Amino acid sequence: MTPRRGAVMVPLMLWGYALVAMIPLFVMVLGSLRPTQDLFNDPIGLPNKLYLSNYTRAWTEASFSTYVLNSVVVVTGAVILGAAVSVLAAYPLGRRKFTGRGFFIGYFISGMTLPGHFGVLPLFYLLDGLNLVDSRLGLMLVYAAGSVPFNVFVLSAFFRQLPGELDEAAALDGAGPFATFRHIMLPLVRPAIATVVVFQFVPLWNDFFYPLVLLRDESKLTIPVGLTHFFGRFQNDWGTLFAGLVMTTLPLVILFGIATRQIVAGLTAGMNR
Amino acid sequence: MAQAPVTTRGRGGRAGTWYLFLVPALLLYSLFVVYPLLTGLSYSVFSWKGTVRDAFVGVDNYVGLFTNEAFRSKLLPALGHNLALFAGTMLVQNTMGLAFALAFSRARRGKRALQIIFATPYLVNPLVIGYLWTLLLSPTFGPANTLLRAIGPDELAKPWLGDPSTALPMVILITTWQWVGFPMLLFSAAIGGIPAEYAEAARVDGASSWRVFWHITLPLLRPAIGTITVLSFIGSMNTFALVYALGGSSGGPAGSTDVLGLLFYRAAFASGDINAVGTASALAVFLFTFIFGTTILLNRILRQGEEAM
Amino acid sequence: MRLTRRVAVLAVASLTALVACAPGADSGSDDENVTLSVWGWGPEANYDKMFAEYTKDNPGVKVDARSFTTATEYDTILSTGLAGKDGPDVAWLRAGAPLQPLVAAGRLVPLDNSSVPGLADFNAGVLQGAKGDTDGKVYGVPFAIQTLHVIYNKKIFADNGIAPPKTWEDMIAAAQKLQAAKIVPFAVGGKDDWTLPIITSIFGTSRWGGDAFLDEVKAGKKTFADPNFVAGVDLVNQLKPYFPKDVAGVSYTDAQTLFSAGKAAMFPGGIWEVNFFRTNAPGLDLGTFSAPPPPGSVAGKALLPGFMDGSYGVSANSKHREEALKLLSWLASKKYGQLYTDTVVQFSAVPGVEPKDPILREVAGTYTSNGARYFMNEFAYGNPSSQTVFSAALQEMLLGRITAAQAAAKLDASVATWLKPR
Repeated sequence: MTPRRGAVMVPLMLWGYALVAMIPLFVMVLGSLRPTQDLFNDPIGLPNKLYLSNYTRAWTEASFSTYVLNSVVVVTGAVILGAAVSVLAAYPLGRRKFTGRGFFIGYFISGMTLPGHFGVLPLFYLLDGLNLVDSRLGLMLVYAAGSVPFNVFVLSAFFRQLPGELDEAAALDGAGPFATFRHIMLPLVRPAIATVVVFQFVPLWNDFFYPLVLLRDESKLTIPVGLTHFFGRFQNDWGTLFAGLVMTTLPLVILFGIATRQIVAGLTAGMNR
Repeated sequence: MAQAPVTTRGRGGRAGTWYLFLVPALLLYSLFVVYPLLTGLSYSVFSWKGTVRDAFVGVDNYVGLFTNEAFRSKLLPALGHNLALFAGTMLVQNTMGLAFALAFSRARRGKRALQIIFATPYLVNPLVIGYLWTLLLSPTFGPANTLLRAIGPDELAKPWLGDPSTALPMVILITTWQWVGFPMLLFSAAIGGIPAEYAEAARVDGASSWRVFWHITLPLLRPAIGTITVLSFIGSMNTFALVYALGGSSGGPAGSTDVLGLLFYRAAFASGDINAVGTASALAVFLFTFIFGTTILLNRILRQGEEAM
Repeated sequence: MRLTRRVAVLAVASLTALVACAPGADSGSDDENVTLSVWGWGPEANYDKMFAEYTKDNPGVKVDARSFTTATEYDTILSTGLAGKDGPDVAWLRAGAPLQPLVAAGRLVPLDNSSVPGLADFNAGVLQGAKGDTDGKVYGVPFAIQTLHVIYNKKIFADNGIAPPKTWEDMIAAAQKLQAAKIVPFAVGGKDDWTLPIITSIFGTSRWGGDAFLDEVKAGKKTFADPNFVAGVDLVNQLKPYFPKDVAGVSYTDAQTLFSAGKAAMFPGGIWEVNFFRTNAPGLDLGTFSAPPPPGSVAGKALLPGFMDGSYGVSANSKHREEALKLLSWLASKKYGQLYTDTVVQFSAVPGVEPKDPILREVAGTYTSNGARYFMNEFAYGNPSSQTVFSAALQEMLLGRITAAQAAAKLDASVATWLKPR
């Protein structure tokens, strides 16, 4: 491909795919602006007039105002805790050879390979015994622990990939393992940390299974539980559900925007070295 | 503090120090993931009355599982679909992710916006993704078919998710649509870690873009490729939410999208069996042994290839 | 060592986090006021409305109702909720097979005529779905009965000169007429396979002979491989030309949309659809009919299948058992039954309650004279459950991959894994 043709074709293809990526989401946003009745008569169409009742209904009936804070606290806490313990563990696992390293890698991977929700019954009994049922802290710890295998796996691969001279140079300067980790390694894996944070944040933000099983008190529930109100047994209120989804997805888009800035910053840092 | 000479990937470092790095993760993970999982696995050798453990029954639950024709006949097709999903993910999703990352590594304008757009599908709840795509591909109301009828012969319009021959490819495409942002970001980050001088040096020597990619970029991306391969494998073997949302708990139409995760779901959460916990745990042990074993093997092979470089 | 200390601090911090998470604020009950927590799966607004009446009559008792509308997760949520502390006092229980694990685990309080006096008046068939299979005791107060029939669009019927069919031939002729007028005769969504046993029951129950046949299967005298059952299943095949094109790709919501948008004339489905269509397509003029007896019908008349949908039970862990049982007595009363049918626009399971809704009234009359038991609800045992197996088999049949006989054989084989004929 000549550079000139590539200069036109590549952006064209990228923006073409961007359209495909967005179509289902347009359907969702448009749906959120139409009454559910309209959606059932004509599932895909444009709103006749500005119709915002779905949003007001979602906000009040799903008790979003109560749940937003819980979601933010639980999910943010879980993601930070999960990433912090994982980045520590990933450093030696990715860069060092020591007895038992292979075992630990396998030990961490094992947590990813079980069928979903398999451990829910023993987990419930464990938390019940620890008095952590109906506790936001309990849910946060479960989420954080669940994110460890994925985080460790991705981050250790990143540590492994960094040029070998880096820690040698640090050692020559007399830096200890923790100083090397903190001042040399950590800044370099920032893009990877941003990546795992985003990819852990999203499923936790959307999860309604664990809050339903592990929380009791109305005042402790998270946002997706509110959304389940519109997944009726025999009636799905799609209009309101879409409105709720638009409201819950927006913070994710913003988070993602911030995270990509981190990633881009990390990239530039990487290039300068 | 005495400092042992650090040699990357060497024998250096005091093992004790490295273990300390592991302690917080090990504590958290062992208590809230491994302990419940081991307990859960031990459930498989007991009979159950609902959520109450009854008698020790040895391997009865396993025997029951494999003498049950309705289960046995589904196991191999489901495994086949998981593997097809893995192959599809590697070929379509991860190749696209790499292509996007490469394109962005050179792009100047619109990069952030496109990155966000490509990853947005991942942000949406999987249940709703199922509804949206069912609607878009519906034979009665779907705009996809309306478009196909408009541009070509009527035969182009199909019940894409309702035809056993096209349902699984559709699942692969929708998975790609949902997940492509992940390999894209991971590859972007990895490409960013490659010192620019490497490629510049090669270009000064007169190498084409393609040769630079093939001989310099790609080999340096091997750790990232290995990571993504292993994660795609695990993701494909454990896939659940999307297939459930698209084809229901039986992996319809006609079991053409049935996967191991649905098999487990039906045994654990949608059975009419008092001993569901026992049966489902036996199935989980079986699936775990297989998926974990294969993952470790795959990881080892990929790492060996990497270190042989 | 700085590093060691830092890691140690982290480790200790994470440990203390675990230890320090002692019980949260105690939800504590006041001395005079009792709060009963009720779990269920219906729309929450309905509960609030109904239980407000209870509090009015019983000052000092508050009912805190919570709804888990995602039905598939409800079983897991309830089984863990009843196993641990702080679970519900009263909960909606599903009928038949899904109830049994809870009974076997001893999570529920068995009920009798002295603890819940109203139970004595309930129809025995209705109570059957709230019983433990092994001990025969009743564990719940049934709240709803669902009926299965064909719902039709009166205006489309009138425009095409069609009357609700009295014979199978009439129904086929009507379907052909509608098809010629470019209207989908039956809105069926075969992509969501859970709807297919319902469709089969609506058209086939009369063919295989209703309750008598089910009892013979349970007694081990007949099986689902019986030619009469196979013929009943095959009716769905015969009607396939009148379903939407590519029916196995049409989703349940697509089928609802076809009907509510006036593109389809008939919707075979449960009574719950009536309220759904009323809400989402208020302009529709609705009627119902039971599928007429097909040629060779064993019953010889149109049958209206129905089933008990769920019941209210009391948790064995409840700290307020006495108050919970008192609430159950109210839930077994006509007052509640009336409140339920008026609020939810479905049939109450309480005997003697007259629905106000005209369609419900009409169906209720037919159900009394021509009611039959919905077969699938009573044969949903096994792992994988026979319901799952048969739903998937029916979808394969609609795709033309297997015959009705093969689909019935799959159900038969699945039922054989758990049915112990009495």
